[in-house]
Amino acid sequence: MDKTIIELKDVWKIYQMGQVEVPALRGVDLKISKGEFVAIVGPSGSGKSTMMNLVGCLDLPTKGGIYLDGHNIANLDESKLAQIRGQKIGFVFQQFNLIPNLTALENVMLPLAFQGIDDTVAEAKAMKLLDIVGLGDRVRHLPTQLSGGQMQRVSIARALANDPEVILADEPTGNLDSTTGRFIMNFLGKIHKGDSKTIIMVTHDLNLSKAAEKVVHIKDGKVEKIETIRKRGRE
Amino acid sequence: MKPSKSFKLALNILRHSKVRSWLTIIGIVIGVASVVAIMSIGTGMQLSLESSLGGLGADIITISPGASRTMGGFRDFGSDQPSASSSTAKNLTIKDIQALKSVENVDIVTGTVSGRGEVYYLAETTTVSITGVDPIAWNEITTSTLSSGRFLGASDYSAVLVGNRLATRSFKQPLSVNRVITIEGASFKIAGILNESGGMMGGGSDSGIIMPIEAARAVLDDVGTDEFDSIIVKVADADLVEQTMSDIDARLMLTRHVTNRTKDYSVSSSVAMQATISSTLESVTLFLGAIAAVSLLVGAVGIANTMFTTVLERTKQIGIMKAIGAKNRDIMMIFMMNSALVGLVGGVIGLVIGSVASLFVAIPMMGMGGRGMGAENVVTPQLLVFTLSIAVGIGIVAGLVPAYRASKLRPVDALRYE
Repeated sequence: MDKTIIELKDVWKIYQMGQVEVPALRGVDLKISKGEFVAIVGPSGSGKSTMMNLVGCLDLPTKGGIYLDGHNIANLDESKLAQIRGQKIGFVFQQFNLIPNLTALENVMLPLAFQGIDDTVAEAKAMKLLDIVGLGDRVRHLPTQLSGGQMQRVSIARALANDPEVILADEPTGNLDSTTGRFIMNFLGKIHKGDSKTIIMVTHDLNLSKAAEKVVHIKDGKVEKIETIRKRGRE
Repeated sequence: MKPSKSFKLALNILRHSKVRSWLTIIGIVIGVASVVAIMSIGTGMQLSLESSLGGLGADIITISPGASRTMGGFRDFGSDQPSASSSTAKNLTIKDIQALKSVENVDIVTGTVSGRGEVYYLAETTTVSITGVDPIAWNEITTSTLSSGRFLGASDYSAVLVGNRLATRSFKQPLSVNRVITIEGASFKIAGILNESGGMMGGGSDSGIIMPIEAARAVLDDVGTDEFDSIIVKVADADLVEQTMSDIDARLMLTRHVTNRTKDYSVSSSVAMQATISSTLESVTLFLGAIAAVSLLVGAVGIANTMFTTVLERTKQIGIMKAIGAKNRDIMMIFMMNSALVGLVGGVIGLVIGSVASLFVAIPMMGMGGRGMGAENVVTPQLLVFTLSIAVGIGIVAGLVPAYRASKLRPVDALRYE
């Protein structure tokens, strides 16, 4: 069970700001096992967003290796990375990031389309996912016709579309009120337990991080400490 | 991603991009419409020209008095007046006809006279062009066909052939076979009525009269005995028309004691004339088409401009799509198709507008040209396919750089873009 799905080995990310080099990550080592719920916590500017981008294959490290399922992605080209993102990673963003001109259904179908899946198959799957997130009656709505919580649920459905191994959630409740936020967090928890997905959540909210099994504290581009939370339900 | 899906996404972008897209499309519409209108009118004019000049066969060479201009002998264009030069130049005579008879490849040589005369019928008078011909030779040469009655025979003197328009439209009462009309005071019986030929050459003059040459000499006052306004030569082998023309030219220079510089006659054939006018028309059409194409080019710049803006506006969406698995190729496809669609929509609308516009231009020209010189607009299937592919092609080319840029955006940067 304790199979490593993501491993960061001495990862450096240095941004060039004019003449100055600004290191965002300075030699991060981290292992995330399959099926884990990990929260990455840190104040703004700590490098957690950078880390999230690297883990999500949205960006490449300046130095070091990122191993996804044992394969180093640090040397892959953009098309390969896109393929990996599409198949193995589902994103849930703070700002939902739905395509405004597409309906909820079309938004959920989009990742499937990028994998070359037939529209009819994709539609059936997207319908099912929207049903699971409780939006079976809102499939033809455009994002602007949905509430924040509903939009986030659409984006969770979208993240699940390709049945990824990892769900990457970047401040998933940051734009939601606390009730809706709790609902979304419960939902992520359900996905984690029910479908045993690996969930990596980036947040600055220590309260939220309590939902995770493992909390990685980032400070100044380094892993400060890793705490493992024992959960009553899990013992 | 499947092309059909890329297409749907591209269409979605187009549907949701407001006024700007339509302005861009208008640019293409104007370009395509003007190209289509000009090309179709050009083709139409060419076709009507060909049918007009077809009036006299391809195996006919015409010799007319007067120094050769580019279109020497093309004297009936738009007017039935004998060419101005015929009064000043030394007329063609029976001697010239004799001289031509022995030129190689010459089959029939015959002289004609022409002029204008008043026709009187049932208290109405009109002025028409009159051509005097040798009936036997003319019957051999002409491509006109009879609508009713018969051709002229060798023994006819006071019988005439009447052009179709003259017979049906010039008088309140249409002319018919065996009616008697008065031409310049002399009575003539109508032997036959010709079919409409659309021709503007003497051979098929739709609103003219053809009569035996002796009668014409009597009726027309400015024609001297043994003089001709033109000599018509029918060649035995139509393929050798060019060669025969220069042979005739050489022979006439010899017999008329003139040089190239002092030449007082001109040799032409409907084929040569047709080629000259045709190529002139073609270059005019091409030139105008090229000007229209410039507006198409401006339209292309418009597309490129809009595409750059669209890509910029959708940077974040590009980032999202990349995050959820869109490859560079997918993004490229979506934006290229969007751009091609702008071209296609503009092309289709432009085609419709251009075709309709060319109709409106063609109608007044028809009135101006009169006498079968009607310019019809001809939208050929080739023109349709050609312009549509050009429009789509322009869309693709104009979208190339913006789409490439879009595809090369780094997902992190694109996602952060607000």
